[in-house]
Amino acid sequence: MIQPQTLLNVADNSGARELMCIRIIGASNRRYAHIGDVIVAVIKKAVPNTPLERSEVIRAVIVRTCKELKRENGMIIRYDDNAAVVIDQEGNPKGTRIFGAIARELRQLNFTKIISLAPEVL
Amino acid sequence: MLAAQRIRSSSAFSSTIRFLQLWNRGVSVHSHALSSSTSSSPDKSLLDLQEVETILNKVKADDVKVIPVRKDCDWADYMVFATGRSTWHVKNIAQALIYKVKQKQKGAKQLVLPSVEGQEEGKWIVIDSGKVVVHALDENARSYYNLESLWSTETPPDDSAQVNSCCFSLLPFIKTKGKSILGHDFFCASFQPSSV
Repeated sequence: MIQPQTLLNVADNSGARELMCIRIIGASNRRYAHIGDVIVAVIKKAVPNTPLERSEVIRAVIVRTCKELKRENGMIIRYDDNAAVVIDQEGNPKGTRIFGAIARELRQLNFTKIISLAPEVL
Repeated sequence: MLAAQRIRSSSAFSSTIRFLQLWNRGVSVHSHALSSSTSSSPDKSLLDLQEVETILNKVKADDVKVIPVRKDCDWADYMVFATGRSTWHVKNIAQALIYKVKQKQKGAKQLVLPSVEGQEEGKWIVIDSGKVVVHALDENARSYYNLESLWSTETPPDDSAQVNSCCFSLLPFIKTKGKSILGHDFFCASFQPSSV
């Protein structure tokens, strides 16, 4: 359940450390975003000397949420943190590597690039 | 890794482990079921490796590399990397593969197309046709993302197995309160006996 003002960790090596969601893309007046949704976010913290800077507005895909993700076979996946991967307007990830476990729902949502960079797909 | 994921069960510790094993197995069973269900009509909707290679030769893709990844990941069997000389060339590689899929399914009632990502831009296009995942990149993207090194050097993720065996060795000593056994909480739990 990601909504505007939610702080998210960054699960890639793009240089951003912390994001704040400011808008959910996809529908007007949508309240919450879940795994696989694209959000507009502001970089609140960034690693020094990287292309991304603080207070830059970017797009990101949510890859992990504390809110549990239910599957049809009864599996429930819940992560420790809210995390997102920084992408550009075309959907290419800004970073070259992704950290942590990623849910396989992203493949169905057509984020195969993120899946193919991830170290583990749950 | 698994530290990011937390499974909380109200049952006892051993049952949690059993559940975890089942869960892991369930994942693999699920993926196999998925792949088998998609490959029930294998020659129709999905591309196999030889076809992909012939098409890539035909459209003169540079530096074609095939990496078997069955051990490393459970969602694909082969990764194919190909370089295009320009964005148009990269787009043409993707178009040729999609065309081939359409040709194969000629006369079928329903067309099943592979999922394609990044087709508008033409820097990095992924054609995900089930077991074979084709990445068509331009030179800059290929050197930037360096996907071959990621997939060729990566060792199979057997951390989960280690965690499980670790759990078993610690099993008699740990008193859990039905909390999670993975990640930080697990390591806290493993330090409990020394403090008690």
